[in-house]
Amino acid sequence: MTINRRSLLAATAAVGSLVGSVFGKPKTAAAANTNVNLSPPGDIAPRGSKGRFERIPELNLESKWDFVTGFRKFQNRFSPVVKARVEKIMEAKGLDPKAQLTMEESLELVKDDLLVQTSGRTWISNQQVTWKIFQDYYHEHAEEYLAEMEAADNDGPGMVEFDPDLNIPDYIRHEIHIQPGGYIGDPFAGHIYHHGTNSFSAGIPFLGDNEQDQIPIKQVARLPLPEDGVVKRILDMGCGIGRYTAALKERWPDAEVWGIDVGGPLVRYGHMRARDIGIAVNFSQRNAEDTKFPDNYFDIVTSNIINHEITAEGNKRVIAEAYRITRPGGYYYPIDFQSRGDRNVAYGQYRRWWDHRWNCEPWSPAFVASDFDAQIEKAGFVFNHDTPPAMPGFGARHAVKKA
Amino acid sequence: MAKIKLKTDRPTHTAEFIKSDAERAVFLGNPALDNMMSSLIALGTEVWSTKRRMNVLEALLEERGVTQQMIEEYVPTAEQEAKWEKERDGFIDLTYSPLLREGDLPVATPFSHDTK
Repeated sequence: MTINRRSLLAATAAVGSLVGSVFGKPKTAAAANTNVNLSPPGDIAPRGSKGRFERIPELNLESKWDFVTGFRKFQNRFSPVVKARVEKIMEAKGLDPKAQLTMEESLELVKDDLLVQTSGRTWISNQQVTWKIFQDYYHEHAEEYLAEMEAADNDGPGMVEFDPDLNIPDYIRHEIHIQPGGYIGDPFAGHIYHHGTNSFSAGIPFLGDNEQDQIPIKQVARLPLPEDGVVKRILDMGCGIGRYTAALKERWPDAEVWGIDVGGPLVRYGHMRARDIGIAVNFSQRNAEDTKFPDNYFDIVTSNIINHEITAEGNKRVIAEAYRITRPGGYYYPIDFQSRGDRNVAYGQYRRWWDHRWNCEPWSPAFVASDFDAQIEKAGFVFNHDTPPAMPGFGARHAVKKA
Repeated sequence: MAKIKLKTDRPTHTAEFIKSDAERAVFLGNPALDNMMSSLIALGTEVWSTKRRMNVLEALLEERGVTQQMIEEYVPTAEQEAKWEKERDGFIDLTYSPLLREGDLPVATPFSHDTK
């Protein structure tokens, strides 16, 4: 890396400031990490770093990323246009434009309308380009970036472990978000996901820039303390590339923090990145349905937007596992969408359709339609309804295991 | 199940996955139209003529002491970032605003003498 400690400290201080200003004052300020390994073995950062983000490795690639991100912002302009168009179609058919419809009913209304379909087509095309530019780059430079990860595998702080015999459920073998190879199939799934999701969030007004991990830091700052205040062990289920996991360790630096995911390339990248920014997290390739941790092991079991990517049956097993490994007095907090039922206005349902069908979200509609909260209660947890959502607009699911 | 094949002897920690059929999606009733839309967006990322021009400019600059490394390591100021972002949004507005157009007249529609 070519950054110096002074510039990094300035950047992390800015992140801390942002946490307070955007989300309001958090209960506990997240301490941004300052223990940075400036020259980890085998590190590749050809264009240096900006704060805690290694810059996209080529200027041309960065410019393409900038374009697809700008196009996502432009896509927001489709919303009012398409919404009005859908309402016009409904009025022409003598329907109430505010009627609550199923996804299938909405699709039937708009499937042949070219303006409506242009909104979906361009979103998907832009998504495909986003993935392709990064996959092409990392495959072209595969040897050097595989060597970089190999060097990081046995380096610390923190650690990573893999399970080549892991029983990966079929439901998560899909190319979720049409990312080529999904979470498990591409050796660079972590690299590709990191840049792709930064683009995604930057294009959504209520999410915004996540280059400095602002979003997970804000989420973690909003997590409650267990009633007795004890936080010795934390698990992040389905941790992906571990940005939320690292933020957990930053808030609770003395805790033993684990991040598990079925995606080998994801935990591998997550470990490398946490190491680069000096955060000691234990990453492990494991299944959230069967974590292999002892009973009552964790004070906090949490996850960040994984449940809508899991089948209903899978979620039952994940919740049961969370209950088993959460200690009495500890809590389970899965961050995910609200489950509100299977009806919405036609425009919302159309968006849900192409996200489900063509952005490869196989289980998302069923999750939104399900009574996920009731499943959590059925497992034995008791909701603390006074806790605000860790992610504004998402479900507030502070589920306590009674002492 | 699908598998990504890379020429390497290094460990990849990958597994087989289920391939999406999104490449076959037809939103616009005609796959050629869908393909054109995808090409248009890909074109936006390339802006090939600009890139080619930049390559020439960079080569000329390097001959005069401005190296590739200096260009790669250049960190724009906050003012420059803001200005460039505005320029980018202007570019996107010019190129893609037509996609928002609600055309409703078939090609064979007679000329309208309606002056309203």
